[in-house]
Amino acid sequence: MKEKNNLSPVERIKTSSDGLRGTLKESLHDQITGAIREDDQSLIKFHGMYQQDDRDRREERSAKKLEWLYSFMIRLRLPGGLITPEQWLGIHHVAGEHSTGVIKITTRQTVQLHGILKSHIKPTIQAFNTLNLDSIAACGDVNRNVMCSAHPGQSAIHEQVFAFADKISTLALPKTRAYYEIWLDEEQIADRKEEDPLYQDRYLPRKFKIAIAIPPNNDVDVFTNDIGLIAVVENNELKGFNIAAGGGLSATHGNAATYPRLASMLGFVDTEEKVLKAVYEIMTIQRDNGNRADRKLARLKYTIDRMGVDGLKEELEKRCGFKLEPARPYTFATRKDQYGWQQNHAGNWFYTVFVENGRVLDEEQLPLKTALYEIAQTGKANFRFTGNQNVILSDVRDEDKPLVDELLEKFGIAGHTERAGALRKNAMACVAFNTCPLALAEAQRYLPSLISKIEPLLEKYNLQEEEITLRMTGCPNGCGRSPAAEIGLIGTAYGEYNLHIGGDRIGERLNTKYKDSQNEEQLLQTLDELFHTYVNERKDSENFGDFAYQKWIQGK
Amino acid sequence: MLEAAKLKQWDELIGTASPEELIWINGYLSGIVARGARAPEPTTEAAPAVAVKKAHLVFGTETGNARKLAGRLAAAAKKKGISLKLSGLDQYRLTDLPKEDYFFVVISTQGEGEPPLTAKKFYEHIHATQPDLSTLKFSVLALGDTAYPLYCKTGEDVQQRFKALGATEIIPMQKCDVDYDADADTWFEQVAKLLSAPATVSATAPAPAPVAKKASGKKYYEGTIVANINLNDRGSNRETYHIELTTEEPVVYEPGDTIGIVPRNRAAVVDRILALTGADGEQLVTTPKASASIRELLTIHLNICYLMTNTVKKYAALTAQDIPDTRMDLVDLLRIYPVKDATVFTEVLSLLLPVAPRLYSIASSPAAHGENEIHITVAKDRFLAEDEQRFGLCSEFLGDLPTGSTLNFYIHKSRNFKLPAPDKKIIMIGPGTGVAPFRSFLAERDATGAGGENWFFFGEQYFEKDFLYQTEMQAFHQTGVLSRLDLAFSRDQAERRYVQHRMLQQAADLYNWIEQGAHIYVSGVKDPMSKEVEQTLLQIIREQGGKTTEEATAFLEQLRKENRYEKDVY
Repeated sequence: MKEKNNLSPVERIKTSSDGLRGTLKESLHDQITGAIREDDQSLIKFHGMYQQDDRDRREERSAKKLEWLYSFMIRLRLPGGLITPEQWLGIHHVAGEHSTGVIKITTRQTVQLHGILKSHIKPTIQAFNTLNLDSIAACGDVNRNVMCSAHPGQSAIHEQVFAFADKISTLALPKTRAYYEIWLDEEQIADRKEEDPLYQDRYLPRKFKIAIAIPPNNDVDVFTNDIGLIAVVENNELKGFNIAAGGGLSATHGNAATYPRLASMLGFVDTEEKVLKAVYEIMTIQRDNGNRADRKLARLKYTIDRMGVDGLKEELEKRCGFKLEPARPYTFATRKDQYGWQQNHAGNWFYTVFVENGRVLDEEQLPLKTALYEIAQTGKANFRFTGNQNVILSDVRDEDKPLVDELLEKFGIAGHTERAGALRKNAMACVAFNTCPLALAEAQRYLPSLISKIEPLLEKYNLQEEEITLRMTGCPNGCGRSPAAEIGLIGTAYGEYNLHIGGDRIGERLNTKYKDSQNEEQLLQTLDELFHTYVNERKDSENFGDFAYQKWIQGK
Repeated sequence: MLEAAKLKQWDELIGTASPEELIWINGYLSGIVARGARAPEPTTEAAPAVAVKKAHLVFGTETGNARKLAGRLAAAAKKKGISLKLSGLDQYRLTDLPKEDYFFVVISTQGEGEPPLTAKKFYEHIHATQPDLSTLKFSVLALGDTAYPLYCKTGEDVQQRFKALGATEIIPMQKCDVDYDADADTWFEQVAKLLSAPATVSATAPAPAPVAKKASGKKYYEGTIVANINLNDRGSNRETYHIELTTEEPVVYEPGDTIGIVPRNRAAVVDRILALTGADGEQLVTTPKASASIRELLTIHLNICYLMTNTVKKYAALTAQDIPDTRMDLVDLLRIYPVKDATVFTEVLSLLLPVAPRLYSIASSPAAHGENEIHITVAKDRFLAEDEQRFGLCSEFLGDLPTGSTLNFYIHKSRNFKLPAPDKKIIMIGPGTGVAPFRSFLAERDATGAGGENWFFFGEQYFEKDFLYQTEMQAFHQTGVLSRLDLAFSRDQAERRYVQHRMLQQAADLYNWIEQGAHIYVSGVKDPMSKEVEQTLLQIIREQGGKTTEEATAFLEQLRKENRYEKDVY
């Protein structure tokens, strides 16, 4: 492959981009194509967007002598995933005016809109700006949206931790004003100092993800992040954070050097100042030591493979000027969302709505988008997105609960959330076709119908109440965190998936490939056999992931 | 047009030639003109023609890398003065393959050694059929990723298959890894060297084109529809059809010419007429216009749509009925005011006028698309406006005809709407179907390597749905054939924007081009487009040239006299 000192092309694009400006303005003005220039396609990610095209329409458009139907996906930066009802209303309108209309809740607690034509990008970002929303660094080789446990149970601690997510997000924002100049027409000041001590002019070698979990819930899948922070709570008091590093799920088919990895525990720090310093310096270590020649081997996990966990820790302590304490004990018990109504310590109410694959749209049987719009119009609930692609109607006062309840009933949302089966409610899928350029197979468009075919198998073995996690991705890059599921389906070609099993339920053990390139019929047959063995041989309440690991993976 | 000396030579030649020789000279010159090549020096008999090598660079892409690379290489070729046509394999007409001369393929390999999506049809076609490629000279640039076991497999497959079909590999296949630029350049240097070498054209002069059978009347050709594509995307308000016709015999035409197509009346309407009158469709009848079966007369030869008032009057007299002065379709006339019997109806046939041909600008170029092929661009709304609304629902819309259908057409020569000398700049203003002759101009200038700069103003309603020939225009722009391309999509923003707004935005440059001798062409709808464009031109001449209204009008009139301002509007 490549020489070690041979930088990947994206490195040149970053350093010569004049603070992520590149030729984005020229690309926007180019009338003859709906696409942007090649280098700008790398840069626009740092502004929270991807250039995509409707892959379903390629052949037909080509026959018509039209270029592919290019459009853009825009992803918001929402640390901790919280917005006001006014912001939801605004997003609803922007989605209708400028995108496909579907609001997609992502696996990283934010929302993204698809199908925005080039000429609609600026109006979209300008509308977001009036709502105090932005998409800066939502994609690209920078720290992405900071996740934080969304579960409302222990709210006193949660508020402290949410504040942390914001601080980390701000700490890791690029310093360039490019976003404001290009999209919001801010005047460029020629000699403005834009020095960026964290990112310099080369940014990180690859994307970087940070999440904060509050045990016992690991709803953020903390170990799948480059940095995972685990809140240490003793006697209802936040004592500090355990820091883990080097998680990342992406791999490449046919490239044995790539693999999904969970984060390694580094240790514990107590004060806010120290946590921020440690997070910052892990990023500088990755900036200085990450692989910039081969983007497939550029995530922090590979840097740690080279440095060793101890080596990383040593360098981190040197850069921080303080030692990490040994990690404090913690226990994760669950990773799922608490559907329906919950009340927190202060007496406020929270309703978690089941949103299949995070897609908010109006369907004939389920007018979810209208329902959420009307609930937002009451102004009585905040919206918090979860890492499982659902939305929590948050901070509803006791006296407002009947009003929200009434709307949930009126549009059938409550019934839908209650009725959906356990497998469906614990499932997750990435976007894949028709917009994701990386997709090899379907995911969110296909998983619902596949689940409808798996459900009868579960019923056959009386397993329909089992909270098995099933995750599907259209490629091995892991946006839907398929390697961290009890059953992972990873697309290899159209209509074919590698079947992975043996992951645990709480996100502390990855699954392992069990069968190659299975079509639907093969998948259903294999799952039928697995469930049959599971129901006959399992011990007590042993869950499917643990059983599968012992039976088919361990020692093999 | 000829210098006196040349004219004298010419007169001498003609004066001494036999009638047979004159016919031969006539065909010989037509052949030269049709090929877009220069006539050989008059003194050197049968000297080798200065022929441009016919070379085609095609790409099959999945991620877009092969497309970008092919575009870059084609643009580099243009800079070196090499004429190289660029096409995506997803838009490549597979039946053209045996007719190719030099053929260069840039193609990637996907996953498990599969062809990229856009090349799938091509790949399947060459493997499932046995085209004769014995005259094809080719080379493959294969893109791949060494991380995969079946590195550059698709490229290898194409190479092997081409060889098996008799093609000659003139430059060895070049395989490239993910950092393909350097290897691609190495390969391309060989391609460029090969194509810029002097043409080894055989010393035979172009074959004389067949002389039109009747010198006086129109020469009719029979064309077969080989492609009929609605260029507008789903959701568009427009339906614009790109229709490709092929002919057995070569068609002599030039960019800027139009074709006349005789529309056919709908079979259902003809059947209805036969049923109403009780006439036998197969009965042979002779009318002043033609002799044919009644069915054929009604289908091809006679106009049955929206009859003239005068025709209706004659019908009233013939059938001795009291019919008000009006225009109507024959089928309605027969329904409301029936004929007594089939015999009377045969007399009615003699009253009918012949079908009027419809004229369409030709969108193809002889040099680029060959002399056995004609392309046209036909808008359904124009058909609706001119035919359905004016003539009733009788005639068939070309866009509805399936491939394999045949049409009769003739070439209507354009007098002045022609390309100027190859080094002249041209400005083309052609929104909507006005694009047709300019596609022809651009393809011709591309294929013949004309050096003059080209500037095109195009407009329609929506960018993503209505950009007619978008990928071709992008390729012309990328390779430098189109040095400027300005677009106006009227409904993509709150205020309506048309080509004339774009012209005003570029007023200074536009005027500069005119001053530098550019020829201006306007094509498309007469009213209001061409009138507003003319007003805009006058405004630009006034403002940029510092002229009064009268001076500007005189200036444009002068351009018109010099054949530098030409319109093809309808």
